[in-house]
Amino acid sequence: MSIEPGARTVETLLYIELQRFLYREAKLLDRRHYQDWLTLLTDDVSYRVRIRSIRDGGVADTDIAVVDDGPAELRKRVEQINTPRLSRAENPPSLTRRLVTNIEAFYQDNPDDILVESSILTFRTRGNVPEGSFYAGKRHDLVKRSGDQFKIARRDVRLDQSVLFDGALSLLL
Amino acid sequence: MKDRDTVWVDEKAGTVSRRAFIDDDVHRVEIDKIFLRSWGFLCHETEIENAGDFVVRRLGNAEVIVTRDEKGDIVAVLNSCRHRGAQLCRSASGNSRRFVCPYHGWTYERSGKLITTTFDQHLPAGLDLSQWGLPRAPRVESHKGLIFGCWREDVGSLSDYIGEFSWYLDPFLARTPSGMEVLAPPHRWRTRCNWKVGALNFVGDAQHVLTTHSGPLTLDPVRAARAGFATAAENSFQVATDQGHGCTLTYLAPGLPQDAYQTHPADLEPLYTTVAPGQRDMLKNLRVIVGTIFPNLSFIETQVGPAQKAVIFRQWTPISGTEMEVLSWVFAEREASSDYKDAVLKKGIHNFGAAGVFEQDDVELWTSATRASDNPIAAQYPYSFHTALPYMQAAEQDSNWPGRVYRPADTEVAQLEFMRQWNRLMQAEA
Repeated sequence: MSIEPGARTVETLLYIELQRFLYREAKLLDRRHYQDWLTLLTDDVSYRVRIRSIRDGGVADTDIAVVDDGPAELRKRVEQINTPRLSRAENPPSLTRRLVTNIEAFYQDNPDDILVESSILTFRTRGNVPEGSFYAGKRHDLVKRSGDQFKIARRDVRLDQSVLFDGALSLLL
Repeated sequence: MKDRDTVWVDEKAGTVSRRAFIDDDVHRVEIDKIFLRSWGFLCHETEIENAGDFVVRRLGNAEVIVTRDEKGDIVAVLNSCRHRGAQLCRSASGNSRRFVCPYHGWTYERSGKLITTTFDQHLPAGLDLSQWGLPRAPRVESHKGLIFGCWREDVGSLSDYIGEFSWYLDPFLARTPSGMEVLAPPHRWRTRCNWKVGALNFVGDAQHVLTTHSGPLTLDPVRAARAGFATAAENSFQVATDQGHGCTLTYLAPGLPQDAYQTHPADLEPLYTTVAPGQRDMLKNLRVIVGTIFPNLSFIETQVGPAQKAVIFRQWTPISGTEMEVLSWVFAEREASSDYKDAVLKKGIHNFGAAGVFEQDDVELWTSATRASDNPIAAQYPYSFHTALPYMQAAEQDSNWPGRVYRPADTEVAQLEFMRQWNRLMQAEA
C-alpha cells in the first residue's frame, strides 16, 4: 500500500476514533486477549510482517515477508500462542508493551476504507531472562468502517531490521 | 584441542560433552578445524542469476562477496579492502559491475583483481599490484545449483564430498529439468544457542516432534489427519554417510484416505525425470525428509497443503559458542506455476522461518537449553545420546539405499553419527 500524493487525510474526529481503536487493539494484544483481538479483523483479513533485505548497486531495498497469513493461517497462529499446552514460545507468555505512535489516516476511494499508518515499538521480555528485545516498524492497515465500528482488513508491518536479533518472532505486531 | 582430559564424544557411553555446545574455545577450534577446511555453503545459483548480481555471505566465518566474475565463473572474495580493511559491500546483496571501496576508492574487478588504488602515481616502483587483490576462496563448486566454497586449495571435489548422500539430496534440488529455485531472499535471525543444536535437530530428531511441536501438529488439519508420526511405518529410517551427512525419512502410514498419498503436485510429478526411478520412488508417500550436509547446511521437505510441498534449506552460521545466525530459504520447482510458488512460499514461511510456528518453539527450547547449560556445574554433565547406542552397530546395508541405514527412524543414531564425524575432525592434528 502506498500513499498517493494528495491523499485526503481524515478529519480530526475520525482520526481520534482511529487512534482510540489502535490503542484498544494494542491493549488487547498486551493483555493477550487474542480471541477479542480476532474480532477486530475482517473475515478475509491478510496479515503480513516483513523484514528488510539491504541491497546495493542502485537497487531499492527489498522486503522479505516473514509472516504472510490469510485468515485461516492467522487463526492457527493465534490459537497456538493462546493455548499453553500447544506453545513453548509463548508459554510462559512474553511480557509485552506495544507503543503505537505516529498515526496518520487517509481516505481511500471507497469512503468506508481508511488507510491507517502507524509506527509500532513493541518491547518484550520472556520469563526470568534479564534482557528485553524490541521490534520497531511501520504499519499500514486497511481499516474498514461499518457504522461506528472499525475492522482491520489488511495489516502490513515493515520491521526496521534485516536480521531478527532475538530468535524467531512469535508475537503479533 | 588442548583439553586432553575431556571426552568430547563418548561413542561407547552414548554421551557428548555439554561444553561442546557452550565453550568459545571449542568454537575457535571449530572455525579452524572444520569451517576453514571443509566445503561451506555460499548460496544457490538462482540468487545470483544476472550479470553483476552478488550476495554477501560467510565462509569460515569470513564475510565474502559471492558473484560471477568477468568470465562468468562464480567466485567468493573477501569482503575487506586490502588497503585498510573496509567492507566493499555493506549490504546483503546487490548488483555491481566492479567493487569500489568507499573509503579510499581502491577498485577491484568482481574476480577480486585490483584495478587501481586511485593513487597509483604514489606507489613505489616495482610494487606488484597483482598481489594486492581481494583474497579469493581457491575452490568454488556447484552441486545441483548449491554453490559451495572452500578456503583450502587441496580439498577433494565437492561431488566427492557430497558423495553417496547425493542420492537423498538431489531430489530436493533438481528433480525436474529446470531444477529448483529460491523463492525469496533468505530469512535471517540470531539465536542464542550453538550451531550444532540446529544441525543435529535436522539430521534426525524425531523424538522432539510431538512434544515441541504439539501446537502446529494439533492445529494443522493436514498434519492432524496423519497423527502418529509414522516412524513405525515400515520404510521410515535414518541415514548416515562417511562424510558426516545424514537424514531422516518418514513415510505415511498405510490406511489413510487415498488422497493423502498424493503428496507431491500432480502436475509436476510427470516432470520428475532428472532423478533415478529409485529416487522417484523415494518421494512417493514421503511425509517428511530432514537432513544435514556436514557441517551446517540442513534441509527439510514438508507438506504445506494438499499436494503442496515446501523445500526449505537453512544454514546454521556459528557466531560464538552460544550463538548462531540462521539463514533460511524456501525452494520450489522452476516449472511450477506462480500460484503454486506463491502458496508454497506463504505456507512454507508460516511453518519454518523467522516467524515460523515450528521455528518459534524450537528457538525457545534451544535457547533455554543453552542458558541452563552455560555454567560450571551443568558443564560437568554430558548430554545424553543414549537411544543411539543399541543401534549404532546395527546399520543395514541396503542396495536400494546408499550409506548406513538405520531403523527405526526415532532413535538418536543419526545425531551420534554426526557428532562422531565432528569429533574426528576436531581431534585431527593441524
